[in-house]
Amino acid sequence: MYRYDEWDQRLVDERVAQFRDQVARRLSGELSEEEFKPLRLLNGLYLQLHSYMLRVAIPYGVLSSRQLEALAHIARHYDRGYGHFTTRQNIQFHWVRLEETPDILAELAKVGMHAIQTSGNSLRNTTADQYAGVAADEIADPRVYAELIRQWSTLHPEFSFLPRKFKIAVSGAARDRAAVKTHDIGLYVRRDQAGELGFEVLVGGGQGRTPMLAKTVRKFLPEADLLSYLEAILRVYNELGRRDNLFKARIKILVHELGLEKFTELVEAEWAAISTGALRLPRDEIARIRAQFAPPPYEAIAIPVASLEAARRKDPAFARWLRHNTAAHARPGYAIVNVSLKAVGEVPGDIGADAMEALAGLAERLSFGELRVTHEQNLVLPHVKASELYALWQALVPLGLASANVGLASDIIACPGLDYCSLANARSIPVAQRIAERVAALGREEEIGELRIKISGCINACGHHHVGHIGLLGVDKQGEEFYQMTLGGHAEEDASLGAIIGPAFSSADVVDAVERVIATYLGLRHPGERFIEAYRRLGPEPFKERLYAAH
Amino acid sequence: MSLEIVTANRLRDGRAVYLGESGWSENLQAAQVAGSAAAAKALLAAAEANAAANAVVAPYLIEVADEGDRLVPQRLRERIREQGPTVAAGARPPVREVA
Amino acid sequence: MPLIKAGELRDDPWRFLADDEALPADGPVAVSLARWRREENALVARGLPLGIRLKAGEHPLSIAEALGHFALIALEFPKFTDGRAYSYARLLRERFGYKGELRAVGQVLRDQLLFMQRCGFDAFEIAHTDAAELWRKAIAEISVFNQPTGERGVTRPRAAPAPPGPSSDRDGRRLRS
Repeated sequence: MYRYDEWDQRLVDERVAQFRDQVARRLSGELSEEEFKPLRLLNGLYLQLHSYMLRVAIPYGVLSSRQLEALAHIARHYDRGYGHFTTRQNIQFHWVRLEETPDILAELAKVGMHAIQTSGNSLRNTTADQYAGVAADEIADPRVYAELIRQWSTLHPEFSFLPRKFKIAVSGAARDRAAVKTHDIGLYVRRDQAGELGFEVLVGGGQGRTPMLAKTVRKFLPEADLLSYLEAILRVYNELGRRDNLFKARIKILVHELGLEKFTELVEAEWAAISTGALRLPRDEIARIRAQFAPPPYEAIAIPVASLEAARRKDPAFARWLRHNTAAHARPGYAIVNVSLKAVGEVPGDIGADAMEALAGLAERLSFGELRVTHEQNLVLPHVKASELYALWQALVPLGLASANVGLASDIIACPGLDYCSLANARSIPVAQRIAERVAALGREEEIGELRIKISGCINACGHHHVGHIGLLGVDKQGEEFYQMTLGGHAEEDASLGAIIGPAFSSADVVDAVERVIATYLGLRHPGERFIEAYRRLGPEPFKERLYAAH
Repeated sequence: MSLEIVTANRLRDGRAVYLGESGWSENLQAAQVAGSAAAAKALLAAAEANAAANAVVAPYLIEVADEGDRLVPQRLRERIREQGPTVAAGARPPVREVA
Repeated sequence: MPLIKAGELRDDPWRFLADDEALPADGPVAVSLARWRREENALVARGLPLGIRLKAGEHPLSIAEALGHFALIALEFPKFTDGRAYSYARLLRERFGYKGELRAVGQVLRDQLLFMQRCGFDAFEIAHTDAAELWRKAIAEISVFNQPTGERGVTRPRAAPAPPGPSSDRDGRRLRS
């Protein structure tokens, strides 16, 4: 894992002192709210319905045991005993006080963490594939590039007051687990014909009011040119992005209004002027960062692992968990473990301080002290020996972290919604809970198979509903909560945006509607056909009929 | 005739607060009620003076109904602000229906 | 308006002329881009120090060929959230080689001063009673820079950038010959 050097550490320490002073100036009245708000947003501090909310950065979703312990401590001492993992691999605390936030940031700085640029019109946390470095289908480790981008983007003096927020994601595998095409800049690691590493660069993805998928601006960019090319894109955006209308200020609108060709021309022209400058990455620099992500000391393990096979045969609940919550590791004898934060009846993505600490201990013992956060609000233990999977599972069960549902219908993404968020129009958490309960009651979750349900409480789409197989958008209709359903969204390399299926459903009707969609799918699918495949084959009509015909 | 009260978030800890006779408190039921547009305007002006004095952030008016024994905000958002999140998780209070 | 230049409170010799204001006989004057375009010859012929004030949205490319005429370029921040002038400043310094005074005007607040300086501004109009103290504090807050901008560059010591050209990749794969 990346370890802070003295400069990283000094930066966060100075940042804490700077913010402490800014808070003092706000509390004394020297700074007005208007002046202070962008400053507190640049440190991830929102003012929500009930309280301040602090969004802590987890760069490209990588967390050490020690860091998770620190988060547990913060949850306990400064919050109400829990934290919430987000769709951008960050963690949120919903009950912090402004006056204590400098202390929270100081505690975070001690473990090499911060909340810099997790909000505001700045370069946000760069996210990556949660299986980085361990996936069997990996081309090259995206964390290397995400770390380079992190350093380049942190307190960038030219790009701290962009027209709007800016999100970058990197995927290093054949399969896109980072929802790259929904980002302002998306990067797919590729090799050219000579075997050289580089990227396909995509620009202009984004959800929200006008969802769009990112378009390819450069089919192959050599890795040495990564930062200079990003700088060129950001400069064009900073100069030309709209500043007159908040809802048209993302780069996706600029790409749309200029047209892809013209936009690309501008970027390439700007890049031509800086490509040989100081941002060009020397081999040594890339190698230096890459060395920070060297594999842990794996053992050589003979497969199959007899004890695992025996446990699998003996214990059907364990077998079920293996089927859904583990993924193939690049090393024989190891597995990637998904820790589900979606127990039926719980709040999606939430975890209590006790569970965080227990999980940190498990990661320390069984995963070389490392965890990952996924953009689907779950956690990952990336390096678990196959021989230890059974013991791990047995430890996760009493913690409520062993729901065998990763990627299934009850593995729902939901934003905090109107229960917490001042931007929301409707609640999302209770809807997620009711859907999960209905799925459990139906008893067919495994049979249904892969089904990604995503719920947002407002148009800002923090629940990523546009790329849900079933997406739900909460709206306010004359004071009542209604849910607009979209179908057919998908977040992987063959990404698609969901299409609105018809009139919105009331809170009372929405769970039945979801059940009817599932039933329609089950009735019409070909053997082995996943929901998204069936939807793409069938189109919306059969679902529309089933949802609306009787009404 | 609609009744209005003033609410804001307290600066130092972000808590939802309501303007009452004796200042800001977390108790909506103790809020000063304005029964006319003029009274509401005056109440909001007083609140904004407070905001300038740094106790609270962004005060605004909300509609309430007087149901005899309690004031009930008309918007769901404000009912949630008064009563807290409606969802259960771990050690937190169990799910309630928002009245 | 208090002016900080080279880290100190200074008197401001410059006069910013409105578009319809007559050119004074003496003294350095700064004009808008629109006026520069209309009266370029007259302004240059004056033979006195000349400045120009660009609004957000007026890209410095529009004066790139004429930089030699300006002893002062002022870039406006209409609201402190409008970050276009950060890019303009860097381009003026790093792309077009501008060496004169580069001044931040408009809504210039303490918490943006260090970013501005790192982008190449060397003068700041700060609406504050103790501008010098404000500047002193603002500049000292962060000492670690991750981006090679302007004069200060990256704090972390780094290998010199490799010259452009092909080579084998890290895994030692040979290039196609």
